[in-house]
Amino acid sequence: MTTPVSSGAITLDGVELSFPTRDGGSLPVLAGVDLAVPAGGIVALIGPNGCGKSTLLRVIAGLLSPSSGEARLDGVRITEPDPRIGLVFQEPRLLPWRSAADNITYPLELADWPAARRATRLTALIEMVDLDPAATTAHPSELSGGMRQRVALARALALEPEVLLLDEPFSALDALTRERFDLELLRLWDRAAPTIVLVTHSIAEAILVADRVVVLSPRPGRVVADITVDLPRPRTIADLDAAAVSRTALEIRSHLGDPLATDRLEAAS
Amino acid sequence: MTRTWWFPVVAGFAVFVLGWKLVVVVGGLQPYILPPPETVAGRFVGAWLDGTVWPHFQATMVEIVIGFVVGSVLALLVGYGLARSDLFERLASPYLVAAQAIPILVLAPLLVFWFGPGLLSKVVICALIVFFPVAIATMVGIRSVDARLLELGRSLRATRRQILTTLEIPAALPSIFGGLRVGVTLAVVGAIVGEWAGASKGLAVLINLARGSLFDTPLMFAALVTIALVGVALYLVIVGIERRLIGVR
Repeated sequence: MTTPVSSGAITLDGVELSFPTRDGGSLPVLAGVDLAVPAGGIVALIGPNGCGKSTLLRVIAGLLSPSSGEARLDGVRITEPDPRIGLVFQEPRLLPWRSAADNITYPLELADWPAARRATRLTALIEMVDLDPAATTAHPSELSGGMRQRVALARALALEPEVLLLDEPFSALDALTRERFDLELLRLWDRAAPTIVLVTHSIAEAILVADRVVVLSPRPGRVVADITVDLPRPRTIADLDAAAVSRTALEIRSHLGDPLATDRLEAAS
Repeated sequence: MTRTWWFPVVAGFAVFVLGWKLVVVVGGLQPYILPPPETVAGRFVGAWLDGTVWPHFQATMVEIVIGFVVGSVLALLVGYGLARSDLFERLASPYLVAAQAIPILVLAPLLVFWFGPGLLSKVVICALIVFFPVAIATMVGIRSVDARLLELGRSLRATRRQILTTLEIPAALPSIFGGLRVGVTLAVVGAIVGEWAGASKGLAVLINLARGSLFDTPLMFAALVTIALVGVALYLVIVGIERRLIGVR
């Protein structure tokens, strides 16, 4: 089922990052984040608002350089955006003047792929993200929110990345659509097994998708818990009712600072 | 679009012509003050057919087109610079605004004095008057590029040139075309003002001849109608190009 992969391992080593403030000071956002995601692993990052989850994702994407520490892809320091890393933003972030198809092939165009090769890849991508082929000539303004996010996902997959970074990608979608997207993400992972780092606010989503759920502290962010999700794959929505899930959820909640969750966790053990 | 889209346009024009006729009749105006529309229409057709208008029309069109293209190209380059360099904007914008504040009417005789009564001075005047709205529209357009799209471009390792051609220019196009629409009508004004300040050929020269030496008020009106039609036609050309380039968004 899962094809073995040899590359796509992410390592974060004491990643610290501060943003300069308007009065000349600096605002620490990440305070020494250590994290290892093996090739083909799925890790969900969860934490309170403003804890630096998105910032951490941008460090891995090579869009931000840490003030100290480093992020590595297969042991090599990440200093700039890398074609082996695909990125899905919180909003679809499509070019409004391009059709869906031209948005999907945008990365291929920037990478100077010839038109014929782009067209072949486009067909595969459309099938991969289950986009209605009739919708590919439409412009983003003519598509539903879900379709736009499918286009964004296809665009992130265009260059066959070994690592897929997702920044709350489905947060704008309704709960049902979101669950479907989570399952489709797992189906995609079954086919190509990219390393996935998913930033999310949803504990249920984190548990459904990830091997491990990493909880970050409030700003400046650091890893406060690294919880393994003990659910067999392939997973389904029905799995979310299992006892293991509620225990994992309680654990995550207690690390997020919910005292009730901590009490119940202690009572259960 | 329905088949009767042109109906309001035609009806509006009919009302305009009838109103004009009414003013002439009710006011009892002599043709040398305000000729009635049918006289102007007759003179318009006649002056075009007997070759009176043609050389003047040709001269003015050449001035407008060259002046507009030169002014727009320079404005696009400078507008981009204004958008992307704060230092350049701070240095250049006072002069741009000051230059724009001086009426072209005052500047035109000086420019004709410097560059001669031929084509060059008209091109300079046209380019000058076109420059400001196009440069400002370009600056605003380039600045309007969504920073999140620029981040996307960066994450996909777009080169400086790719960012320009795939993100900045498409995002700025609606604004740039807003500037070009204003610019093209100003180019017509620039050419006429330039000719007024000194020229041997051109629609403004024809107006001067009709008014001063020929006492042919209908011919003067025919020339005015020609100028107005040139403005409308060029504006529609710009709108047409805009529609083709921008499409659905």
